[in-house]
Amino acid sequence: MLKFIAFFRRFRVFLVFLILQIAALSSYFTVMSFPRTAFFNSSTAVTGTLLSWERDIVKYLYLDEANEKLQAENVLLEKRIADNFISIDTNTALINDTLRRLSFERTPATVINSSHTHANNYFTINAGSDKGIERKMGVVSSNGIVGIVYDVSENFAIVKSVLTTDINISAFINKSNAHGLIKYEGTNPRRVNLTGFSNDIEVEIGSKVLARGSGGYFPPGEPIGIVEKIEPVEGQPRWNIIVRLNQDMRKLRYVYVIKNIHKLELETLEKKIPELQ
Amino acid sequence: MNYLVKNILRLLIFVLAQGLIFGQLPFGYGIHPMIYPLFILMLPFDTRPVVLMLLAFIAGVGVDFFMNTFGLHASASVFIAYIRPGIFRQFAPRDGYDILKEPIAKDWGYPWFIKVSALTILLHHFWFFGLEYFKWSAWQEILTSTFLSSIITLTIFILIQVLFFKKSKNV
Repeated sequence: MLKFIAFFRRFRVFLVFLILQIAALSSYFTVMSFPRTAFFNSSTAVTGTLLSWERDIVKYLYLDEANEKLQAENVLLEKRIADNFISIDTNTALINDTLRRLSFERTPATVINSSHTHANNYFTINAGSDKGIERKMGVVSSNGIVGIVYDVSENFAIVKSVLTTDINISAFINKSNAHGLIKYEGTNPRRVNLTGFSNDIEVEIGSKVLARGSGGYFPPGEPIGIVEKIEPVEGQPRWNIIVRLNQDMRKLRYVYVIKNIHKLELETLEKKIPELQ
Repeated sequence: MNYLVKNILRLLIFVLAQGLIFGQLPFGYGIHPMIYPLFILMLPFDTRPVVLMLLAFIAGVGVDFFMNTFGLHASASVFIAYIRPGIFRQFAPRDGYDILKEPIAKDWGYPWFIKVSALTILLHHFWFFGLEYFKWSAWQEILTSTFLSSIITLTIFILIQVLFFKKSKNV
């Protein structure tokens, strides 16, 4: 009899175990096969409130996502800026209106991998041919130009950074309108050289260096940096101008890829130049 | 403090900590640390098995509310409540347990605590992930999740013991 009671006590525990398991698992498997008939879920008032408090606290961890949204919004707004348009008829389109046609389109992207310590630096962005990125498109940040697309895969693209010895971006100095080529010496990631300036051109320290837009990579007037130092090149009648980049390439994260809608037109036209010469 | 009040407080704290903090940590690699089994482990030695399972069920349902798992946590925690007396018997000291003390590391030593909780966590996680995937073909995922999560959970258990149970009178 005692043994029977002991057995029953054990059996009772197992019975309770079984009942609770059936309750829990039947709920789980019913919900899994027919979603949204749930009783156990976080839309319930109490847990919902608690979870939203928790979201309020941890939302600072998700600022990246918020940034991306803002970036997309910026693209929409920047499409409306006059710099990105060319006028159809210079005589009539004096004001910024629908007579201007979009010439440069911007696609937002995030830098997912980058270097700045090598002599030739490249970075990877998370936009590729899927988003319409092609080779030789210009890449800018909100501060200024950062590179040119070098190679594209379906979802990513490699960008040749402005910190590359043979980047050769054509640039001009704001006030004098004289132009030269941007080159990188491979030492200081904050500074690039502007070469090809004859020493009879006056250059002011502190004047802005802007993209000239040749080759159609960048909209003309896209900022690059500021003239920091002017040195004479020994034995040659030229200046070596040291330019401080607007964008600190070590902190690059959000960029825009620039698509020049009239690039093909520009290229076919400029192809004739060697023939003419 | 009264055992009842103390354990009800613990139940609340563990469920909230699991739902709001540990369940939201994005570890990756299939790692899901679960701290509420510690609540079941730390219930007094003389808790009757049926009461133990009912409390485990309540804790599990509480966690299910937060995690949208609809009874999976309840099932796993009832399971470990069911096997807890067996595990304790397995690792019992020579003189048996002093039922006036609580089953915490401070009173019974870290080797004992680690042995007991490692076994409990492994069984709990295996039950949980086994039911979550519920296919033979996912055995690799089940085993990696179980193993990796168990390591993290055990680490958290030991940290909780070290940080909050210096004096046995603390909640």
